[in-house]
Amino acid sequence: MATMKDIISSPLLLALVVIGLIYIVIFSLIHLKKAYARCLEMGITKEDLHKVIKSSLVFSIVPSLSIVVGLFALISVLGVVWSWWRLSVIGSLSYESLISSSVASALGFSTSAEMLAGATGRQFGVVMILMSIGMLSGFFILIPFGKKLSMSVSKSENSSSWKYVLSGTFMLCLFAVYIPVLLIGDTVQAAVMLTGLVIAVVLGVLASKPKLRWLSEFIMAFSMIGGMISSVFWANLFQ
Amino acid sequence: MSKKTKQTTVMDPFQAWCHKWSRIGTVIMLVYMIALPFIVLAYYDSIPSFGEVINLSTISILMIYIPVGISEALSYTPILGSSTYLTFLTGNIMNLKLPVAVNAMKLAKKEANTPEGEAISCVAVSVSSIMTVIILALAALLSTWISPIFELPAVKTASNYLIPALFGSLTLGLFSSTKSGKKVVKNGIAGVIPVLIIVAVLALFVRITSGGSLFGMVGFLILFMLPVAIISSRIMWKKGVIKVVDNDESASEKTE
Repeated sequence: MATMKDIISSPLLLALVVIGLIYIVIFSLIHLKKAYARCLEMGITKEDLHKVIKSSLVFSIVPSLSIVVGLFALISVLGVVWSWWRLSVIGSLSYESLISSSVASALGFSTSAEMLAGATGRQFGVVMILMSIGMLSGFFILIPFGKKLSMSVSKSENSSSWKYVLSGTFMLCLFAVYIPVLLIGDTVQAAVMLTGLVIAVVLGVLASKPKLRWLSEFIMAFSMIGGMISSVFWANLFQ
Repeated sequence: MSKKTKQTTVMDPFQAWCHKWSRIGTVIMLVYMIALPFIVLAYYDSIPSFGEVINLSTISILMIYIPVGISEALSYTPILGSSTYLTFLTGNIMNLKLPVAVNAMKLAKKEANTPEGEAISCVAVSVSSIMTVIILALAALLSTWISPIFELPAVKTASNYLIPALFGSLTLGLFSSTKSGKKVVKNGIAGVIPVLIIVAVLALFVRITSGGSLFGMVGFLILFMLPVAIISSRIMWKKGVIKVVDNDESASEKTE
């Protein structure tokens, strides 16, 4: 009878994960090539595109590193390969972290360490399947209705003015939900958010000076990093 | 422009390509992703029974995330447009891909829901997806050596506050990004004031009564608040509180 340890260290699992990740990289590269070419056709300059690519790379580093923190938390529960796969495809850090802490108790183990030491292959199978199907609900909307949803707000020169309003409403609603939750729900979260905002404003002012114009590409990345670093101070102060 | 005019939106070739090929590519990956555990488990003769997978305790876990997935699809698709497929497939939307797309549109001075905005978002999301895959691959390969750094208490604390930090940095962009494009929505924020009030009252109530936060419930909240935001924006637009006007900045840029 196979155990959880056999499966998490399986060469077959590793091979399938690597194939899946290669697919994701190729899928992303094809999109990059197509979108890049279309941007040039639509008159966006190479200079602007390179600015966007450079800024996106820098911007992605810190959130990716915090996903790495989540990866190490998951590795101790689910092993390297499966954790790596789950956080690279569809996965969201919050979902994977929650499910990893919930499954051990759902399977009757008191701790995740106990599960890693004693779970059978079938028990781990439950974890693998649950993690694979849990985040699919969004795709039941996206695959059949994605085109309709995005075209319903797509703007062109002759679009009605309501489309302009509707198009902005989704982003505004996201902010209208998150901002009060962050500002009222938790003092440290509020302090971190305000620190990020203050840094963004200061950087915005600095970037208006000719010598510091390069800063404008990195305002969001730097203010996010600053906000995160400040959390260590705020957490010590308020907790 | 008359409010009553009805138009059909012509799809840009890139948008059409995405809605066809990104969708097909996404379905292929979904099938692979679901098949993967079954292939491995079949090899080890360890496929669990249906009852072991779907029972009361596991359903309670799934029930938390079904509305979150639906809420993400409904709220992010209209923002990301045709680049949504790639974004959803590579995951980590709110904590990475959506801010990257917003940042890209702001830098290139393009609006969401336009062919230019969607193409530039797609460039940013593709680059970001590749970057994340590489960073995670390196972390997995080097896990034995680098894990002590990522397990430092300060690093763990900082990574817990990614979302608040992101919102701090994004809020500034929210206001400045509305100035790009040929038309500008004036007073758009008025449409979400009811949402702000409802969520603020709920957050305050939860904080006072339990000392807790609604942070873990944001997915549910967005799902219920989206209709409120759309209806109240529609009413305010009809009453003339929210207006769509020609962007003087872009008009003057054009004449220069």
